[in-house]
Amino acid sequence: MSEIKPTDQAATNAGEEKDWAAAKAFFDSLKTKKPRPPKPQYAVTIAVSSRTLFNMVAERKIYEEEGVEKYVTYQQEHENQPLMPGVAFPLVKALMTVNSRLRQLYPDSEELFDIVLMTNNHAQVGVRLINSINHYDLTIERFCMTGGKSPIGYLKAYMTNLYLSKDGEKVTEAIEEGIAAATMFACGDVENQLSDTQLKVAFDGDAVLFSDESEIIVKQHGLDTFFEHEKEFENKPLAQGPLKCFLEALGKLQRKFYAKNERMTCPIRTYLVTARSAASSGARVLKTLRSWGLEIDEALFLAGAPKGPLLQKIRPHIFFDDQMFHIEGAKELGTIAAHVPYGIGQKYHKGELIEQTVKDVKDKK
Amino acid sequence: MDSMVRNPDVKQRDAAQAVVVAVSSDAIFDPEVEQVHGATEPLRKGDAFSFMKAIQVVNERLLTMNSDETLLFDVILLSNDSEEKHSRIIASAKHYGLDIGRFCFCNKEDSIESLQSNKVKLFLSTDTKDVCKALQKGVPAALLFRQTDPHHQTEDQLKVVFSGDVIGSSEEMLHGLREQGFTETQLQGFKTAKGSVKEFAVLMGEMRRRFGLEGSPLCTGLMTVWSSRDVCASALKTLRGWGLLVDEAFCMAGAPRSPILNLVQPHILCLDGLYHMEGFTAMS
Repeated sequence: MSEIKPTDQAATNAGEEKDWAAAKAFFDSLKTKKPRPPKPQYAVTIAVSSRTLFNMVAERKIYEEEGVEKYVTYQQEHENQPLMPGVAFPLVKALMTVNSRLRQLYPDSEELFDIVLMTNNHAQVGVRLINSINHYDLTIERFCMTGGKSPIGYLKAYMTNLYLSKDGEKVTEAIEEGIAAATMFACGDVENQLSDTQLKVAFDGDAVLFSDESEIIVKQHGLDTFFEHEKEFENKPLAQGPLKCFLEALGKLQRKFYAKNERMTCPIRTYLVTARSAASSGARVLKTLRSWGLEIDEALFLAGAPKGPLLQKIRPHIFFDDQMFHIEGAKELGTIAAHVPYGIGQKYHKGELIEQTVKDVKDKK
Repeated sequence: MDSMVRNPDVKQRDAAQAVVVAVSSDAIFDPEVEQVHGATEPLRKGDAFSFMKAIQVVNERLLTMNSDETLLFDVILLSNDSEEKHSRIIASAKHYGLDIGRFCFCNKEDSIESLQSNKVKLFLSTDTKDVCKALQKGVPAALLFRQTDPHHQTEDQLKVVFSGDVIGSSEEMLHGLREQGFTETQLQGFKTAKGSVKEFAVLMGEMRRRFGLEGSPLCTGLMTVWSSRDVCASALKTLRGWGLLVDEAFCMAGAPRSPILNLVQPHILCLDGLYHMEGFTAMS
């Protein structure tokens, strides 16, 4: 089974092996047998922010209106009050379900999902976060609380495969650093409607799985040119987009179930939900996936129709799209949507080019 | 026997109230450079330089807020060097404008005694064996983290990270360490280390509280290397009970610690025992 992450010679040294062995011994010796976190090198690491894992809307308001000191004091005063689940909560539960299935089939494998809490919250707020994690019995053992500093640098250090946050700026920074990332949006109470036995992940195609090269053609030259272009280059694979590697990681885990004859009951299902139409521009997409050796369970070509109603039927634990227009459409009908701020789509809103305004240069700490 | 030399260029602190920190001269000035006999140029900067600068920033901020502040860092340079090098060390400190209050010259065998008699609150070295030796003798000691990335070094903020695996573990959990192969001597060493960490943590907590959450020249952190999240939470609360509200917390649970430490770039790493097991193995 090939590794999900490249082996870094420097990374496999005696000191790290000692830490790993100590952790293994620690978790093995625990009376309350909880699963120990996997070796990061082999795991699919998903970093979630505190605001995506838990609902911190009220607390956020205190932070914005009264400042950080009042906010931290408030959190400390309510330390023993568990937070309510946030928008990434259903996804985390689904990841945990997949992990239990994987552990049953492959008890000695480190190829699992590893969920890391990645937050720029102050460590004192951390106590409430850990208490909340305990309350819901989530398998999140690793966390990084940066006390106000940007967590982006730490994403690489934790070998993150996917980063989810509510902060669009951080997500953009992560993507620029080559890490798959998306901004999550709240959408009301959907948890009851989602599957608790199968993780469902839906992806848009252009500028999410694939680069935005074709989307540039649509925006700058129109649909007709786009169709002609896609037909002409049908056999030329598209370049990869920011979420391609995450789909790849999901595929590797899926194949572990297939290898044990569990294809029909595989707890991971992937969907492509694209505005492309099957007849004119769909072939290139399917051929690209094939050339990458990637499978997607269901490819849905909407030929420009709204994505919301279809997603409502699928009920994914997360849906990735680069265009806010589609994110809003998905949200309106109760789908958990995550925006991938990548490519030409960011400069347009509903087909119109956004006026370039002078942006303040923000200090990046 | 040691010889203590006061630095005339630096205002002497009230040693009873200050946070007296002893730093080995091999950390402040690069010992590996070939020292030509009789040379007089200033010694080359060592690993502890950004630490020395950061300490200065903290002291300056404290004094700006309160000119009568006594809870300041008071640095003693501890040197085992030969006599001919003494004046060069003092001159180099002056050349770089280092905030060193006193110079302590003694033999290597007498170092521990010097640290004890000078009631040092923390002994800092880049050598883990020296740190462990001091800890075992009951001298509070910590590792001066070798900052590998010169571009990430911070000189305008002092960063102190405490390791929390032992602080946050219950007696029962520590008992379980025997099964991991640790000897009684080593386990006793952890208990002693925990005691000395507490003293220094209390002082850091008090100093940290002089500043607000944002813009503080002193940044404190906690890292657990192999333990679960509950041990980390327990360590957070224990430190809080000692008066130290850390700013940052990292729970590795077996994930590699170096990439994180290389990003955090602490100046001081307070080992609570198990970080550098090699040092302890050598002692048992």
